[in-house]
Amino acid sequence: MRTKGRPTGHTGAGVGTPRVPAPGEGGGRGPAPTGSGGPADLRAGAAASGPARRAPRGARSRTNAAAGVLLTPFFVLFTAVTVVPIGYAVWLSLFTEKQSGLGFGGATTVFSGLDNYTAALGDRAFREGFWVLAGYCVVYIPLMVGGALALALLLDSTLARARRFFQLALFLPHAVPGIIAALVWVYLYTPGLSPVVKAMNSGGLGFDFFSSSGTLPSVVNIALWEWLGYNMVIFYAALQAIDRSVLEAATMDGAGEWRTAFGIKLPLIRASLVMVSLFTVIGSLQLFTEPLILNQGGSSTVTTTWTPNMYAYTAAFSRNDYGLAAASAVLLALAAALLSFVVTRLTNRKGAKA
Amino acid sequence: MSRSWTRSTSALVGTATALAVLTACGGGDSKTSDAGKGTADKPVTITFWAWQKGTKDVVDAFNASHNNIQVKFEEIPSGNAGGYAKISNAVKAGNAPDLVTVEYPMLPEFVSQGSFQDISKYVTDDVKKQFLPQSIQQTTLGGKNWAIPFDAAPQAYFYRKDFFDKNHIEVPKTWDEFRAAAQKAKAADPKARIGTFFPDDPTTFEAMAWQAGAQWFKADGNTWKLNTSDAATNKVADYWQGLIDDKLVQNSVSFSPEWTASLKDGSTVGYLGASWSAGVLKGTVPDQSGKWAVAPVPTWDGKPASGMLGGSTWAVPKGSGKTEAALEFAQWMSTTEAGVDARIKSGTSSAFPADIALRPAAKKAFDTSFYSGQDIYRLFDAAGGSINANWGWGPSMGTTNTTLKDQLGKVAGGSVKITDAIKSAHDATVTELKKRGLKVEG
Repeated sequence: MRTKGRPTGHTGAGVGTPRVPAPGEGGGRGPAPTGSGGPADLRAGAAASGPARRAPRGARSRTNAAAGVLLTPFFVLFTAVTVVPIGYAVWLSLFTEKQSGLGFGGATTVFSGLDNYTAALGDRAFREGFWVLAGYCVVYIPLMVGGALALALLLDSTLARARRFFQLALFLPHAVPGIIAALVWVYLYTPGLSPVVKAMNSGGLGFDFFSSSGTLPSVVNIALWEWLGYNMVIFYAALQAIDRSVLEAATMDGAGEWRTAFGIKLPLIRASLVMVSLFTVIGSLQLFTEPLILNQGGSSTVTTTWTPNMYAYTAAFSRNDYGLAAASAVLLALAAALLSFVVTRLTNRKGAKA
Repeated sequence: MSRSWTRSTSALVGTATALAVLTACGGGDSKTSDAGKGTADKPVTITFWAWQKGTKDVVDAFNASHNNIQVKFEEIPSGNAGGYAKISNAVKAGNAPDLVTVEYPMLPEFVSQGSFQDISKYVTDDVKKQFLPQSIQQTTLGGKNWAIPFDAAPQAYFYRKDFFDKNHIEVPKTWDEFRAAAQKAKAADPKARIGTFFPDDPTTFEAMAWQAGAQWFKADGNTWKLNTSDAATNKVADYWQGLIDDKLVQNSVSFSPEWTASLKDGSTVGYLGASWSAGVLKGTVPDQSGKWAVAPVPTWDGKPASGMLGGSTWAVPKGSGKTEAALEFAQWMSTTEAGVDARIKSGTSSAFPADIALRPAAKKAFDTSFYSGQDIYRLFDAAGGSINANWGWGPSMGTTNTTLKDQLGKVAGGSVKITDAIKSAHDATVTELKKRGLKVEG
């Protein structure tokens, strides 16, 4: 039986069993690794009060049947395009191609256990990819979350003018597909072509975006440009949802704009902050398009194995080693799952204390 | 739901799905029945994948003059830009075309993946003797023939004659002179460079090691012997390291917008390329017609010597049941005057046929006005004869060259020396060969 005490029954993870879950069955309890924790909790909070009222028997079974019908397409697709391919990738990662003689007799596929995993972990290029990611996260995440938050607070403050215009202007880059954005930026980075580089050079601010020290800022810049407005809109929406009477009370108590922003607004949009941080972390781990375009567009300092995702791509398409590619993709997915689990756990605990 | 989550999920799913689709039904089926050469009533239609300049014109000419075989041409991106991945994926998926192009360096990789058919019985002695011996040697692996050579690609040096003349710079014949000329050019115009170190293109460096007499891969019985730290390789590596450290050459990705811009604004006034580069250069900077000239590539001792930079062959993927028709067309492209004529008349190709008898035809077909009428084919002819015969490519050039490329990219920044880059590529190759279960020394 569902009770108010088990709001998880309504979350994304809970619908995994369309029938009423047995008491104590913790299927929906820890949705963290699936990454749906943040928004699902928000939705659950709103929905919990409605359907939790006891319904008559007939209505209940009808609801269950309807739920079954409505959920089937989701599960069919989920199985076909998520579960099966992931399973196949894991399967692939357990095989390797062996040759004999000088290698010109063709290859046979043999089971190799975890060899592909040890090969990936033993490859310095793969490990370096994670360091690159770490460096990227350290630079990118604070800039992104801080920047989006600052812009949202600015727009939400009483000082803001032309809110709609800035909202649109800041969000617009997000409407540009990542690949196009990267191509445009490669053009803007290319010495001899770019008006920006030219202007910087003539202003005495020469910077080589393709140099080894320029690589990371170049990629961070593209990602910021693409995602800043998007995250700002999430924060802004959360800020707008704050009960105005709370803010009025704060003002009445003599809190200025700063005090209101940091003492009242920030704690009230904590859920959005956690969600945006989580998605930014996961998005960062998947870093691929922008550096790949940079690599193909003229920056030789972005290697073909610059990030773990690129490593998997190169293993599959330049080295013809699908087993290694699958293994490195699985390792990256595990790292992402682990990291999101840690992030949600940490923030949940803090939330419980607050 | 946030798009970032959607994006990450779909990236993961996409990768997994791609892998799943690509590897489905791996391995080629060995069909015994061949569709033969076709007749006018029942023509055989073959599919052909390539990216070389002028290929469409060749296919049109073939289709117009043949009624037993019809060719369906599909242009693919050049090898390292995705063409090779497309071919190997298609073979793995079992839907490969009947004929594909592959450059000499990558042929062993494809053969070792089991992607191509053994065509030894079609490459008879009569066929072999038509070609430059080096090109047959490059397409013979493990005693079997795997591809029909198309062009040979001896190195050549392209330079801005107007710039060299104006500044009284002699065209370098040796690498020492090349360095001196680079200094002179830089002194005359601080922005001018007479050559480029392509950090993304290991084959240019390999061609220079090849020219100097290096032999990275040697097959000894069933063992691969790797030697990338020989005197010749080190000499070439140190020489280029010096040019880069002293900023005497450009450092930009080959044919990138940056490099092309430097050609257009006259800061790159020389280019170490190969025979095919003549057509490509002409297409890249058409408005500099009459300003360029070609010279033999500089050598170490002043005597003619050359490596090979690229060069194309035609191969039949596993799974094609139209081997005979495909090879008929391949030979027509490589060994008939009509085939070579159609390609070069397109105006974009300066291919130097591996078929020796066809060189006069190629020369006649190429419009040399871009090079002020210079007899560039005679130059290629001499260079082709001087191609060092020792070099052979290894069976894992995908790994070797990807690693080398990644490391060479760091050379200009100073964090990696060219010799370190070669060492990394060496180690990655040894690891890869061992992973495949092959015996390797070095």
